[in-house]
Amino acid sequence: MPEEKTTPIEAQEGEIWAFGGGKGGTGKTFITSCLGTCLAKRGRRVVLVDMDIGGANLHSFIGISRPQKSLTDFFESGVSLSDLAVRTEVENMALITGDIYSITSDTIKFTQKMKLFRQLVKLNAQNILVDLGAGSHLNTLDTFLIADRMIVVLVPEIIAIENMYHFVKNALFRKVKKSLKEYGFREIAQHIWDGRQSYGIKNLKEFMDYLKESFPYLGTILDEELAGFKITLILNMVRAEQDILLGASIKSVLMKYLGVPVRFSGFIAYDDAVWKSVRERKPFMLNYLSSSCGKAIEVLADNLMEGKEVEITGGF
Amino acid sequence: MPQEDLKKYFDILELGPSATLRDVYNAYVRLKNLFSGDSIVLEALAEEFPEKRRKKVLRQVEDAYAKLQAALKNEPPKTSSMMTDEPPAEKPPSEKAVEFTSFSGPVLREIRERLGIRLDDLSKLLKLRVELLKNIEAEKFDALPEATYLKGQVKSLAGCLFLNPDRVAADYLKRFREKKQK
Repeated sequence: MPEEKTTPIEAQEGEIWAFGGGKGGTGKTFITSCLGTCLAKRGRRVVLVDMDIGGANLHSFIGISRPQKSLTDFFESGVSLSDLAVRTEVENMALITGDIYSITSDTIKFTQKMKLFRQLVKLNAQNILVDLGAGSHLNTLDTFLIADRMIVVLVPEIIAIENMYHFVKNALFRKVKKSLKEYGFREIAQHIWDGRQSYGIKNLKEFMDYLKESFPYLGTILDEELAGFKITLILNMVRAEQDILLGASIKSVLMKYLGVPVRFSGFIAYDDAVWKSVRERKPFMLNYLSSSCGKAIEVLADNLMEGKEVEITGGF
Repeated sequence: MPQEDLKKYFDILELGPSATLRDVYNAYVRLKNLFSGDSIVLEALAEEFPEKRRKKVLRQVEDAYAKLQAALKNEPPKTSSMMTDEPPAEKPPSEKAVEFTSFSGPVLREIRERLGIRLDDLSKLLKLRVELLKNIEAEKFDALPEATYLKGQVKSLAGCLFLNPDRVAADYLKRFREKKQK
């Protein structure tokens, strides 16, 4: 399929949805591709951005070959982000691939990162879906933090839960640190954190409570800065009904332990159709719309667009 | 209870201001079970969160539930309408309420069913066998334990149904003793 450029950028900001979550193999890329297709079919202009640096493979989930230009060209040759977008088999949906050959995540400079973020929001799209890949690298966390929807994809397994928790915690920590720094509170915050034992502070939540109590002015700042820190949770590869309750449990634990608001937006049952589709290298949502997974994705897209949640009934 | 406190307790149970009585109960049961310990989520985060922290959260949940339960009981009818979630009854609620003059087994059962609470859930929450709860509701007095044990069990059951435990236990035990003597 020939690569074509999408229409040039306009001065309109799209809504960024970032998909992260720490562990690899939870289905972030698959879900990004499906939701993108789903939104595009509903008439939204969508750009998928594969930020899985080093392991970019989003293209194969939407039926195209690896785009020739990638974020490497953005970082090394200064090609603008919108010029990297290629059309996909899905109408209204473009892809920017993150495959980076010579740059590792560590060598991306701060200014380059800022430029990337500036161009990201200016892409000619209503929804910009960013697949972050695994891990809690600072660049990954920063991209996660600029998103309008901070989405974590999880499977019902202990290690995935653990990784997701650390990912969210690291993101929150990063956000707090950046906010404190921005308002000139870095030293004093560091001082309190270093001496946290003598202040009776055992965790990030207590640390923030302490700061808010000691410096009411800072409390207002932190509240404002963190007001947008909301996690959206997607549970993937659910095999049993009680797994769904896990979504509610994780939500409760994150709220109680980190003080982070969480929205449990949807779950997707394990489905062999996914495995078949991935092998066929075709957009899942074009060919398997009526599968259980396809229907779940539609519900998930509704929930994400309308800010709705999975309803947990029956108390358990 | 001041509105602010009310909000705090609703927050702990992760409920919005439009939460119903049933929501309060369901949220309580779910959170109590979660923070009582053997969830895979807590297992995954065991290193991160010591027992003490978990128990503290559990106490907050228990406290919020107790406070809300008390508040809802004392709430004057006109404001409590936002808390209740009664299924559409054929008769106006006041008439229905008059029928519950005595807390017999069948009445307890009806209240439980109207709240949408399952025996299984009650059993887990109260750590009482489903069979026992069934016998209490069916008033199979011969199958029930001695009055001293029964009193405590009925009281805790009443608490879960948002009823006054002492009043219910007194009523129920009276019937229990009368039938036993016959």
